[in-house]
Amino acid sequence: MDTTDLEAKVIAFIASKVDNMDNSTITAASTFESLGFDSMDTVQLLFDAEEAFGVTFDGDEVKTLRSVGDIVAYMKKHPPEAKS
Amino acid sequence: MHIVVTGMGIVSPIGIGIDRFWENAVVGVNGIAGIQSFDASKQRSRVAGEVADFDPKTFLSAKQIDQTDRFAQLALHAANQAAQDAGSLTCYEPQRIAVSLGSGMGGFATFESSAARKIQNKSLPPFSVPRIMTNSAAAWIATQYGFRGANLTCSTACSSGANAIGMALDLLRTDKADAVIAGGAEACVLPMTMSGFEALMALSTGFNNDPAHASRPFAKGRDGFVMSEGAGILVLEREEAAKERNARIYARVAGYGCACDATHIVAPDTDGQAAAMRIAVEDAGVTLNQVEYINAHATSTPIGDIIETKAIKQLFGDHARQIAISATKSMIGHSIGASAAIGSIATIMTLHTGTIHPTINLDEADPECDLDYTPNQAVRKKVRTGMCNAFGFGGNNASIVFTTP
Repeated sequence: MDTTDLEAKVIAFIASKVDNMDNSTITAASTFESLGFDSMDTVQLLFDAEEAFGVTFDGDEVKTLRSVGDIVAYMKKHPPEAKS
Repeated sequence: MHIVVTGMGIVSPIGIGIDRFWENAVVGVNGIAGIQSFDASKQRSRVAGEVADFDPKTFLSAKQIDQTDRFAQLALHAANQAAQDAGSLTCYEPQRIAVSLGSGMGGFATFESSAARKIQNKSLPPFSVPRIMTNSAAAWIATQYGFRGANLTCSTACSSGANAIGMALDLLRTDKADAVIAGGAEACVLPMTMSGFEALMALSTGFNNDPAHASRPFAKGRDGFVMSEGAGILVLEREEAAKERNARIYARVAGYGCACDATHIVAPDTDGQAAAMRIAVEDAGVTLNQVEYINAHATSTPIGDIIETKAIKQLFGDHARQIAISATKSMIGHSIGASAAIGSIATIMTLHTGTIHPTINLDEADPECDLDYTPNQAVRKKVRTGMCNAFGFGGNNASIVFTTP
């Protein structure tokens, strides 16, 4: 999956987690904070992303994830495990 | 000082909302069916009272749904109804509005799913703990409405909802609050929880092919209770203040009694049940002969319904045969910590409407259950004093007496 496709999927996923949010208002540069996620919401979002994409965010590295682009970059670096 | 009920809300297998619930209760609608929410093919008891048409998305955001267990969602929906029914409480300081809820199991859906993940070495949802904790429903109600008074949760198994209403009565009588949101919520139609009750031989297992007849309090051939879910919430305040703000008054919460069997962790005891009823009647300032209606605990277990019958006869003597009794659980099953809150609503509606709902599936009573259980047909009768019973594991017995205002 190329970066554009992955980014679109992550954006659609994040938009689905917020009531009344349109995909077009989210970009790779959008921080979780700017989208209205507080620190606990972000933890929940990343957990949900793990479930949705089959990725596992490393315990230490997860603290550095602050934006949509950070998730996309992480997933490019650590491709999701193939589901059996 | 009189404490009154000015708002009610309910989520039950026979209806969401007081009007729908009561219309169905009066005509004896069955709310029990084969379990839909999970694959129950491996359970010995495969029937339950589920709230099939409950959709949290209609009133909670995606984020709130992520952060709440189903039992808290049921409680919030019932609380929303009750708050709307009661009308504006802005005459009270937020610090003087309390919440007192009961739940036997708390967020057990989250507990079971989290435990399953842990066994598979998967990470847990970050809100596992705040979803599981039994006080989460009360906390969410307070957070939604900004109620900053006491925020209490009582977990006394099947009597949780009754004790929570009793605790609310105490808060108002001792001037620790001006209004209390009180009731109970439960959502444990779940594989592990049900397996636990199955192991105790407490659940009905003989009606898996005939769910509509599985919950049959006082009837011959009953073989255990039917697990169910739901929530019942009341708004309580002092009568004088309620009249001042022109609130509708459904009934007075006149008395509350609680007593522990102190004999066995699960087996019921006649003396303990009779003690709770006696204390509630005395607390209400009425005589035994004034009690005209009892919403029985009546779970449909072989022993429980006999013990309750004996306890009523032991306390009320000859008057026991004059009391109209009915079992809400015959229609909705046993919603554990919510059951007494729902039973209280049924009692209040009996006083408010002059109709006693039936005990369904009671074509032939157990010879040892020989009182008037209002079999199969509702009865029109003006009732001025009614009592709701709730008896739980741990020997916890609680009774609440309601009277007309």
